[in-house]
Amino acid sequence: MPDSAGALVSMRGITKRFGGVLACDDAELSVRAGEVRALLGENGAGKSTLMNVLAGVITDHEGGITVAGRPCRFRGPADAQAAGIAMIHQELDLVPGLSVAENIFLGREPRTRLRTVDTRKMAAAARAQLAELGVDLDPSRAVGSLRVGEQQLVEIAKALLSNALSTAARVLVMDEPTAALADAEVRLLFATITRLRERGVAIIYISHRMEEIEEIADRATVMRNGRVAGTVDPRTATRREVIELMVGRAEDEQFGHAATTDHGQVLLEVRDLAVHAGRPRPGRTDPAGIDLTVGAGEIVGLAGLMGAGRTELLETLYGAAPVGRLTGSVRLEGRPYAPSGPRAALARGVGFVPEDRRGSGLQLDHSVGHNIALTALRSLCTAGVVRARRERRSVREQIEALAIRAASATVAVGTLSGGNQQKVVFARQLLARPRLLLLDEPTRGIDIGAKAELYRLLQRLAGEGIGILFASSELPELLGVCDRIVVLRGGRVVADLPRHRADQATVLAAAMGSAQGAGA
Amino acid sequence: MVVFVVAVLASPQRNGELIFLSLSNLGNVVRAVSEIGIIAIGMTFVILIGGIDLSVGAVLGLSAVGTAILMVDNGWGVLPTVLVVLLIGAAFGALQGVATAVIGIQAFIVTLAGLQVARGLARIWSGGVGVPIAYGDGPQQAPPSFEILRGSINGVLPVPAVIFLVIGAIAVVVLRTTAFARHVYAIGGNEKAARLAGVPVTRVKIAVFTIAGLLTAVAGIIHAGQLSQGSPNDGIGYELNAIAAVVIGGTSLAGGVGTMSGTLAGALLLGILTNILGLNNIDANIQLLITGLVIVAAAGLQKLRRTVT
Ligand SMILES: Nc1ncnc2c1ncn2[C@@H]1O[C@H](COP(=O)(O)OP(=O)(O)OP(=O)(O)O)[C@@H](O)[C@H]1O
Ligand SMILES: [Mg+2]
Repeated sequence: MPDSAGALVSMRGITKRFGGVLACDDAELSVRAGEVRALLGENGAGKSTLMNVLAGVITDHEGGITVAGRPCRFRGPADAQAAGIAMIHQELDLVPGLSVAENIFLGREPRTRLRTVDTRKMAAAARAQLAELGVDLDPSRAVGSLRVGEQQLVEIAKALLSNALSTAARVLVMDEPTAALADAEVRLLFATITRLRERGVAIIYISHRMEEIEEIADRATVMRNGRVAGTVDPRTATRREVIELMVGRAEDEQFGHAATTDHGQVLLEVRDLAVHAGRPRPGRTDPAGIDLTVGAGEIVGLAGLMGAGRTELLETLYGAAPVGRLTGSVRLEGRPYAPSGPRAALARGVGFVPEDRRGSGLQLDHSVGHNIALTALRSLCTAGVVRARRERRSVREQIEALAIRAASATVAVGTLSGGNQQKVVFARQLLARPRLLLLDEPTRGIDIGAKAELYRLLQRLAGEGIGILFASSELPELLGVCDRIVVLRGGRVVADLPRHRADQATVLAAAMGSAQGAGA
Repeated sequence: MVVFVVAVLASPQRNGELIFLSLSNLGNVVRAVSEIGIIAIGMTFVILIGGIDLSVGAVLGLSAVGTAILMVDNGWGVLPTVLVVLLIGAAFGALQGVATAVIGIQAFIVTLAGLQVARGLARIWSGGVGVPIAYGDGPQQAPPSFEILRGSINGVLPVPAVIFLVIGAIAVVVLRTTAFARHVYAIGGNEKAARLAGVPVTRVKIAVFTIAGLLTAVAGIIHAGQLSQGSPNDGIGYELNAIAAVVIGGTSLAGGVGTMSGTLAGALLLGILTNILGLNNIDANIQLLITGLVIVAAAGLQKLRRTVT
């Protein structure tokens, strides 16, 4: 029983409906000062909704909140901030046209004596805050030109700074802050969290990565179907127990291990691939001489730190990179392959799941069904007319195969929980029946159960002879799922490790550039 | 619907009958909005991809001038004239499509320039004066068959109204059922995601502007027929009325959201409003004022309905 007596913040009887969906159902949560509380649950369990209530983003809810013993009723995020509650949102809501510094200070820009914005002070403070997180970002760069991981760090810096500026900094909510971060950045974030905890800040930490929670959290609260299913000590509770709380039944966390070691013919063969952009592109690491093969039925992992060039490689292979001169050779199924654009890539049977689902993956206002059908539309048409019944059936199959949680196929994708949105991007590609799948962080924000499902799905696809190139910043999943792991650094391959030679230490060492890693 | 009822209630009477509901008046309403309506159909596609077409009024003028000159001065038959004018409209739209889709200039800028160019072309071609159309078989006369645009079917349904309704019906079906329409929506919803999903973004954009140009040329031909002349100053301000019809119909100017039936209803609403105000002999300046208020009210209602559901 969590004691609410010494609680810094306590929420009671929180209920919130979206139309017919009961997102939070009499949920309660209390946190103490100086505590790191993990919040766990399946996609759509109501974690973000509960936290949005706490942060004043959602105001039309039932139930009450007390902060330091005083009942509060927030009428907006500003009220919550005044009460010392800041939140890092799951979906990155930065203004793409503004600079990093402007985004960090949005709405509370420091002023000079002439009441103009003090840009120098702003840039310096932004740079310092980012340096604390271990990123060397130019504060004047437009946020729109940043990678997802970098944007996430900007979002974190923004919340930390608001927390630091606020006189009553008490609670910091982090909704999947590490979903797009690689290991090194996660370490630095944890160092920051530890410092905040020592200052007595309460931190509510949402994540689907169990390793992180075991490491950083003091207690873990599990939500299921909008209710709090229980609170455990993550250091003593087994994963099995936690998963059981999450899904309501016992299930092992498992990576579907590929039994096959013998792969068919080479599907993709990349030799000395390099992209020469005429002028330097800030923040991009273009391929600079990459050798790589993917066999039919093989799952190849792409590891590397942020900025190692994983996304750029996948974009180049999909024909989606900004123009540049290509050198080297790429062959797909034995024939030369140089896609002029995504359409050409799709025509050759290459599919791509981009890392930024809201920015480049989905039509958020459109229905789940229309989103899923978009890429494979031609195959659902007769003479340019979409066959409604055929489309409905295909969409339903994908929704079932990926267990997408949506009230129906006609609701807007934007109303689904983050993890379910990610599954829709995936479904869109699968419906087009690719032979080679390029995946960029496909499990970002997906819960453990759905991840296990996705791994099984990848195994099944591989079993059907589909080649998969799988970029992820989550090493355990790469180690668990892939037949081979290719490590990138600075746009080059620094290690190419078969499964039996790959382990966490070797891959990390290669990714960071320590000597023993380059054993390819 | 509501507007229709209000219109009935506000209708003046003659011989104990409501003028508004008389068949000839209803036909008249549809005839009066046929040009704006046809333009608004093309405009709907453009706005759905997140664009805008400001050139339509000027292209209508150019098409009307072209129709008159080709038939009267050049002595062409109806069919070649219509085909060439349609081609001019489509080509003009296609060029604007290329400028936005391939070069990447914003549609607002491209079509603002297109407005000037089309108006300029119309003035140069016509020498700056209107070209009246007289009917007959002699020189400097248009073929009598072109007068059909002034007639009506069974004396009830004006021909321009029929053309508008037929094109409208086709557009409704196209936008509901085709893969092309899905691509249009997808581009308006998120262009980058559409490109990555394999939507032929460039091609669809060019096609959309071409459709807008083509339909504007149709409206221009009807315009010349109805007025029996082609003047280079025809169609000034039509772009704003067309955009108003689309927006009243619930299509978002941000792209990706909207329906064709909404646009048709929006165009009819504007027509009914003008008609009923006219029947009641409301002062023209007051009419402008009321129309403006109705546009805002209709858009506001749309917004309310969307947030409620
Ligand atoms: N704005 C909205 N409109 C309609 N339904 C919504 C909205 N926001 C959330 N929901 C629904 O409420 C439920 C809870 O969503 P929530 O985002 O809180 O889940 P979550 O636990 O954060 O999931 P995830 O791990 O995927 O981020 C889901 O079923 C979701 O579809
Ligand atoms: Mg969430």
